[in-house]
Amino acid sequence: MGNSISRRLSKLFGSREMKILMLGLDNAGKTTILYKLKLNKIKTSTPTVGFNVETVTYKNIKFNMWDVGGQERLRPLWRHYFPATSALIFVIDCSDRERFNEAKEELYSIISEKEMENVVLLVWANKQDLKGSLKPQEISNLLELDRNLKNQQWCVIGSNALTGTGLVEGLSWISNNIDK
Amino acid sequence: MTKARTDSHFHDAEVLEDLYDSKPRKLGFPVKSPSVPNFHGVLKSNNYNSSVPLFNASAVDRLQADPGYSQGGSSANSLNGDDDANLSVIDMYGGDFDSPRKEQTMKKMDTLASGKGTDHNTDRISSNTVASTIETPIRKNVGSFDRYGFRKQTTYISEGEYDIWWTEYSQYCVRRKGKWELLLEKSGLSYAGDSPTRFPARSEKLKRYVRKGIPAEWRGNAWWYFAKGDEILNKNKGLYDKLLSRIDQIKVQKNREKLYPDLEIIERDLHRTFPDNIHFQRESFQDGESTMIKSLRRVLVAFSLFNPKIGYCQSMNFLSGLLLLFLDEEKAFWMLVIITSRYLPGVHNVNLEGVNVDQGVLMLCVKEYLPEIWSYIKPFYKTQNSNRVTMVSFSSNSSMHSKGTTKNEFLYKLPPVTLCTASWFMSCFVGVTPIETTLRIWDCMFYEESNFLFKASLGILKMSEQTLNKGKLHSTSLNHHNQLRSRKVSQDESDMELFQALQTFPKKLLNPNDLFEKIIFKRRITFNNLDQEEIDRCRKFVKNQRNKYKNYIEAVDSSQYSNGRASKYDDTGHNNGNNTNTFNTSTPISDTMIQDVLSSEGYGFKKGISGVNWNNSIKERVRQIRKRKDKE
Repeated sequence: MGNSISRRLSKLFGSREMKILMLGLDNAGKTTILYKLKLNKIKTSTPTVGFNVETVTYKNIKFNMWDVGGQERLRPLWRHYFPATSALIFVIDCSDRERFNEAKEELYSIISEKEMENVVLLVWANKQDLKGSLKPQEISNLLELDRNLKNQQWCVIGSNALTGTGLVEGLSWISNNIDK
Repeated sequence: MTKARTDSHFHDAEVLEDLYDSKPRKLGFPVKSPSVPNFHGVLKSNNYNSSVPLFNASAVDRLQADPGYSQGGSSANSLNGDDDANLSVIDMYGGDFDSPRKEQTMKKMDTLASGKGTDHNTDRISSNTVASTIETPIRKNVGSFDRYGFRKQTTYISEGEYDIWWTEYSQYCVRRKGKWELLLEKSGLSYAGDSPTRFPARSEKLKRYVRKGIPAEWRGNAWWYFAKGDEILNKNKGLYDKLLSRIDQIKVQKNREKLYPDLEIIERDLHRTFPDNIHFQRESFQDGESTMIKSLRRVLVAFSLFNPKIGYCQSMNFLSGLLLLFLDEEKAFWMLVIITSRYLPGVHNVNLEGVNVDQGVLMLCVKEYLPEIWSYIKPFYKTQNSNRVTMVSFSSNSSMHSKGTTKNEFLYKLPPVTLCTASWFMSCFVGVTPIETTLRIWDCMFYEESNFLFKASLGILKMSEQTLNKGKLHSTSLNHHNQLRSRKVSQDESDMELFQALQTFPKKLLNPNDLFEKIIFKRRITFNNLDQEEIDRCRKFVKNQRNKYKNYIEAVDSSQYSNGRASKYDDTGHNNGNNTNTFNTSTPISDTMIQDVLSSEGYGFKKGISGVNWNNSIKERVRQIRKRKDKE
């Protein structure tokens, strides 16, 4: 594998690698986002039981993205993945108004974990293409992050995993903010 | 594109209405759509099985979107309802092979098909006659879909690759089927044209036959037979019907979302189950929801009512989905019951303890049989400054232990790789390996019990060894010398490589015989000696160890807690038991407890006399016995 060479080179030229955890309720669109970024393809949507991990390179940065299953019951399985995460991406299905509060609670329970203290938080307000979706601004207001997150970098970006809208913006925001 | 989108939003009643029809429907249970079975009516006629096993449905026909194709419920078996001899079934083997046996079968089939005429709908529900039409006309393997209706092409396998492999493998299947037919003949088990319902007595020979693959069109019956489905069904006659009528009642109940939270979760996953399989896809006309999806809903909801301890857990949709391709609805339901209790006990429970136990067992096996792999995946414990005391930091404080006493900690704090392997178990390799490989594993699972899942996992791990070596997680060896920071980075990197390898490797296992011929059938590969007794013993051991650690760590945690919050503890230093954990019984951290955990015995695998580990474990046991004696 020429892998190790390129790794050494990239170290020389200052490319970085970061571990990113992508979370969200089941059916939020995490896996679709991951494969849109990775392959620029739409994978038919199917529940993730374990996890998917892919490396996405953007602007000299290797994002090691971990996409883990969203069903409540499966969450304890990946709890021990919290350490060493540089950024957290939380994906919200904006068309699912009924579960917005559940999503919000989940988000807060994650960022209140000790290991999550210093990560930057990106919220993808996903499924913007769907009729009746909450707008990123609305999501942002409803999440009340400005009130509750004093020391953390955060950002809400609207996204559409099918067209890819908002995805690059998200990664770019992460890369700009990760080192403060 | 829109399709994928709408699929994932089916649960949104509004969207669904907008897109698919204007009939009012209720979330989850379309009530009055004409194409939806009316359970009550249907139940009386004992006719609820709107789903018939896959093999009655013709991939070809579905693909051609025959406008005359009617589907759904009370017309129950309309999958075959077209009654055109021409239509029916998938050709299980695709190509044209010069097998005299096959021609024979064809003739048999032809007569069968013509004899059955129009009223064969009725008899299929009750029994195994379903499979009768399976292999009828010889047709080319249908375009982009395999014989079960799955898309041949995946992210890792192209259609071309599939077709090339299939030309060969389908011949293998034909050969195997011939052998099976002979075997059955010899055993005096006749079957008239359709799939046999009884199989020969257990033997090494039969085991080998099963391992080489059960003929696809017999699978439903064979699985049912080997898993002793009839036993459980006969004990519970009518229960599935009752569950279905309970679903009916729940449908009209107020508050049902609150009372039965699983319903909504199931609903969200229904259309995300095998979206690439034609049998699970939406019909373009009519009601929009395929018969399969309706059956899947009923099976999953019925199960969640039947076993609230499990309810619904993601991955059960895949298990049920695959079962429904081979068995009728009621049988699929009972097989799900059997899988979740006998083969994967506790794996889908709310606390997932079963899956953790099985991962502990798997890790013990890896450590024992695949030391090379173990060196990649074994956890190395960083001391964390979290409030959870890792055993490493703990043992350095504790006075009463010696080196190596923490050896079983990985059973409690499972290595990260188990996040990957856990999903292999939960979904029984559905979606983990390509379908033919998965089915071969299922064949063996039903015949050989759950130990086969461990063998298959170990086999896959062993096969991936080369890939792992190539990607050489070179960082691991450096870890110990580097400073903490870079160690962390390189650990992540090697984690990443390991995970990617383990995630993609099984998905490329298109040819089941790569796993079976090269690994499972090789006697010199030691883990092939694992038997059910060993696995059961091992499960017990792991469960025990995990409980010890759990109690112990809880006790440690709460004692730490009590430094800050005295209220948690009473004077004697006993935990008051106000811990939320169900497991907790007021446990003091006694010396015995610490000893229990720290000096816990290693697991000794059964082995030949030369086994080194065996000797070690004997030593360990002798030590234990001495200790006990000393105490006395």
